Amino acid sequence: MKNMKKLLALFLALALCASLLAGCSGNGSGDSQATESAATESAATESAATESAAAETSTEETSATESAATEESTEGAEIVAENVEAAVEYPAFNVGEVEANLGSSEGGEVNHTAFAGEAGKDYTDEAVYTLNDVMTATTSLNWNPLSWETSDDSMMMSYLTMGFYEFVLNENKDGWAIIPEMAADYPVDVTADYVGQFGVAEGETGKAWKIALNPDAVWEDGTPINADSYIYSYQNLLDPAQLNRRADSLYAGEAAIVGAKAYFYQGQEAFSPLGMTTSEYLANGSEEDLYLDPIGFWNAAGYVDAEGNEVPAYLPISDETIYSQDGTDAEDKDPFSAKSLYEEYFAPGMSYEDYAADYLGTVEGYPADASFDSVGILKTGDYELTFIFQAPISDPDYYVPYYLPMYLVKEDMYEALKVEQDGRISTTYGTSKDTTASYGPYKLDYFELDKQITFVRNDNWCGYKDGKHTGQYQADNVSIQVIDKHETQLLAFLNGEIDFVSLQQEDMEKYASSEYIRYEPQSYTTKLTFNTDESVLAERGTQVLGNLNFRKAFSLAIDRSTFAASYTAAGSAGYGMLNYMYVYDPFTGASYRNNDAAKAALCDLYGLTYGPDGDFDDVDEAYDAITGYDIEQAQQLMAIAYAQVTSDGTWDGTTPIKITLSVYQSDDIYVKMFNYLNDALKAACAGTGFEGKVELTMKADADYYETMYAGQTDMIFSTWGGSAYSPFTLLYECYCDAGINSDPNQMEYGFDSNAVEVTMTINGKEFTQSLQKWALWMDGDENTVLTSNDGSLTLEAFGNYDADTKCAIFAKVEYVYLANYVNTPIYYRNVGSLVSQKGDYAVDEYVDMVTFGGIRYYTFNYNDEEWAAAAGSLTY
Amino acid sequence: MGKYVIKRLILMVFTFLIILTMCFVLIKLLPLPAVKSMGRDVKLVLARREAMGYNKPILVQYGLYWKHLFQGDMGLGEQMYYGLEVVDVFFTKLPYSVVVNLYSILMAIPLGLLFGIYAALRKNHWQDHVVSTMVMLFISVPSYVWAFLVQYILCYKTGWFSLTVASRETTEFFSWAMFKSMFPAVLSLGIYTIAGLTRFTRAELSEVLTGDYLRLARTKGLTRSQAVVRHAMRNAMVPILPMILSEFIGILGGSLIIESVFAIPGIGALFVQSVNLRDYNFFMADTFFYTFIGLLSGLVIDLSYGFIDPRIKMGAR
Repeated sequence: MKNMKKLLALFLALALCASLLAGCSGNGSGDSQATESAATESAATESAATESAAAETSTEETSATESAATEESTEGAEIVAENVEAAVEYPAFNVGEVEANLGSSEGGEVNHTAFAGEAGKDYTDEAVYTLNDVMTATTSLNWNPLSWETSDDSMMMSYLTMGFYEFVLNENKDGWAIIPEMAADYPVDVTADYVGQFGVAEGETGKAWKIALNPDAVWEDGTPINADSYIYSYQNLLDPAQLNRRADSLYAGEAAIVGAKAYFYQGQEAFSPLGMTTSEYLANGSEEDLYLDPIGFWNAAGYVDAEGNEVPAYLPISDETIYSQDGTDAEDKDPFSAKSLYEEYFAPGMSYEDYAADYLGTVEGYPADASFDSVGILKTGDYELTFIFQAPISDPDYYVPYYLPMYLVKEDMYEALKVEQDGRISTTYGTSKDTTASYGPYKLDYFELDKQITFVRNDNWCGYKDGKHTGQYQADNVSIQVIDKHETQLLAFLNGEIDFVSLQQEDMEKYASSEYIRYEPQSYTTKLTFNTDESVLAERGTQVLGNLNFRKAFSLAIDRSTFAASYTAAGSAGYGMLNYMYVYDPFTGASYRNNDAAKAALCDLYGLTYGPDGDFDDVDEAYDAITGYDIEQAQQLMAIAYAQVTSDGTWDGTTPIKITLSVYQSDDIYVKMFNYLNDALKAACAGTGFEGKVELTMKADADYYETMYAGQTDMIFSTWGGSAYSPFTLLYECYCDAGINSDPNQMEYGFDSNAVEVTMTINGKEFTQSLQKWALWMDGDENTVLTSNDGSLTLEAFGNYDADTKCAIFAKVEYVYLANYVNTPIYYRNVGSLVSQKGDYAVDEYVDMVTFGGIRYYTFNYNDEEWAAAAGSLTY
Repeated sequence: MGKYVIKRLILMVFTFLIILTMCFVLIKLLPLPAVKSMGRDVKLVLARREAMGYNKPILVQYGLYWKHLFQGDMGLGEQMYYGLEVVDVFFTKLPYSVVVNLYSILMAIPLGLLFGIYAALRKNHWQDHVVSTMVMLFISVPSYVWAFLVQYILCYKTGWFSLTVASRETTEFFSWAMFKSMFPAVLSLGIYTIAGLTRFTRAELSEVLTGDYLRLARTKGLTRSQAVVRHAMRNAMVPILPMILSEFIGILGGSLIIESVFAIPGIGALFVQSVNLRDYNFFMADTFFYTFIGLLSGLVIDLSYGFIDPRIKMGAR
């Protein structure tokens, strides 16, 4: 009997376990949530998707099978490269000819007719309509207009503020229109009125713009907003004692305001790079004025002198003070002095003289006690402002409204919240309900840290009374829940508690074909970024990554379509640095990636030929055929790489090579990505001398970007994106930024874009410059001047050329960058989201600049009462 | 005893200062995130760091930290919760963590003790096997799995509870609605504690129950329950009670995963985030608080032994 009891107990226990386990596996989403939970952040943030993943899966599975078959067929076959030339770290490129034409500064025509909105459930409707949104955290949330930074901050601001001009849906709902909101009318060019002042020369246009302000604009408490309100805000934005995070938007970039930088840096000195060789500078200048950037050039951050003083940002070239890792002059502590660096590298005729453009410079002082009157933001009437830019704004109908800096804080509140400590002024403005003042369509009603944000209609917003917004802003309230976990967000969406949810890769099987899914392209490209610093790699035992053919072979072994479909929510295969989001002509919305020159660059990169002697009839056909995957060529290149690294002694041919891929975290999705890449690398090595000797290892590292910046890993996934309307600045700012006086943006450790020589023939003249210099010129750097090799032709500023010329030149340089394979694009990021049946966006397809119309045009199918009854029973 | 407490308090102050100093130096030794901002003026970020004294020698920074601390200023958030008073953020988030954990422990202690005692009394019977199997299951499966199961079944499928903890916008903090919304999180958190306490209680009590003095008590005529309650439980509680106390102290730390799953705006992630983002003010505020609580709790636990078992004399030679 006793034994029977024991057996029964055991049976019951087992049955209980079994039923619990069965319960787990039966709950499809519950189980996957558990495993996904770790996948979250980076995979979620980096996940993407455009095409229907479900539709693609079968095709991609086939291609995956094919690639496996290829892999098997080469197994055992020794691929040996013969007559292999020695490896070259940075080959020179001659990229052919470009016919360059200057563009007109007039630009195209801007649409000013907005979609009025759907009549009906507007703010006069008595029923209550609430839009329920979600965000993952408020850790970085700050909606102080003078210091906001993130997209979440921007989202907060979109409810509380309004721009001088807004980009909204046009009347046909197929593009954008520009309409004045806080301005009363469109900008007027008044440059001629300021000749002789603020650096305006006779005959110049497009520099000074007068804006009539909306006289009906008021704060949420009814306090009027006039020109003085703006002047107060701009003055505080540039206040050197506050060091506001957005101050640079007035003095940096393409829309810098005259005098803003001098006001902000008053009483300080700033380093300005030469932008030319030492010889060129010394033709008119003096050595006494020259300074050197030791941190940018010598990577000397943290170096100290004998007394322990840290190396400053710039040093006079005559300075003989020794700086080193420990302040001594011991050889292994990397000692240097400014004088020794100058004489050894930068002096006329020395090997690195070209580098002087970036690392030598002059030091400019900004006078102390500057007056705000010297800043090009002027009150020219009680309801009128004039902005004077440092450089003329081209295509002004578009770019003046686009660039015009809009900053507004409520004076009495802002003054009351200022706190001074150690000479620095900080503020808690824009951090809670009590420290927030709205002048937009909604006002903050409730804010609970990391939990809940609620906006209610701001009845004092002038837009509700001007008759121009009748069909717009139909939501009475906006409620934003803070939910960190994606799984919880999805359940909340299905329960009807939130109206939008971003999807992850594992959701796509279920929701890819939902009629409520919306795809939003993003300007990000995710790439594999390689460490190519040979000395660092040698220490890590991964020196093969320094070989160009090895990296190229690895790239060709990756089937990007399979990768994007299998491991991202909505990503699409990525082949170039810039994806389809980048617009080179704002008036037509033409995408750089769809330009013939850009297509040709990628066809060249991946070896697809077209035309009479090519494999395809035209560039479009060839471009459409790009897969970036060619395992046979990958193996051939691996064989060449093997021959090169073993013959030049880079690698002994036997020591196993373990290449580290650092990823954000080691969750399920990253493990799958890693396994795919490891298999791809092994497939590329199959049949070559590398077979069985090279493999990837994965390392979870939440700081993996920092790790790569420090050169402490071999490769990472990196994602860069920029402003969709500034495609040509991306190359320098993300990929060739040497980090003058700062940490460099360039993540590809060891890649020296100054060492890559690029020759291009423009209008019949040959120009040979480093990749970095081309990139800097295209970034609009005023110090970078390109002169033909024979000295007979100097190019205009890049911005002065027409759109096609810009595309043609940029595409050739993009090709050179990609052909170095210091990173290899994998996929273009997109976001797939479900939108609840509670309401509808104005459009179902993404529209450039205005996405789906936003809350301005969102209309409701259910009011709150109806939704409470219906939500939860609806299917997606 | 009094001497012992004073001695411990003095040692506590020293330990506190040493830990605080070490943490300050260590966090400052970590490199700040590189300044990378496309199209922006990186010098502005560097200037902010300079103005905040980040480039001063660490000891000078430490001096400034204490100076501000004596002025009652723990600083504003810079890398996280920008512009917000560190102390305000901390004490806004703390109550959520404390209350959820407190409910969880208040639920877990009686249940854990009950199951543990029951299993010990029915040792090697089928009841004990069932309890032990359940304990193993609850301990072995990670808490986030329970959290998702609880959320999926009790909140989503049946709709008995809300998916996330309620906001203070809709209900009072100490209200039935808030408690109900917290229940799934409380249950998810409590499962592990119940299991741990059950196992520990069962083990301790089982051992005590085999003691000679207990047999003597029975032979002297005490009933089984009298012997267990009067003698066995009192002895078994000596190691159990400190464990319960440490659970109470642990509630201040929050729970990273449970808070994340049930959207509880607690402090579970604050410490880790402050290190990852290098927000010195938040890191030091957290360090200050947890070091203090940790040291104090060590003292309380040590003293508690004396109260539970008068034979244990703290500080006695």
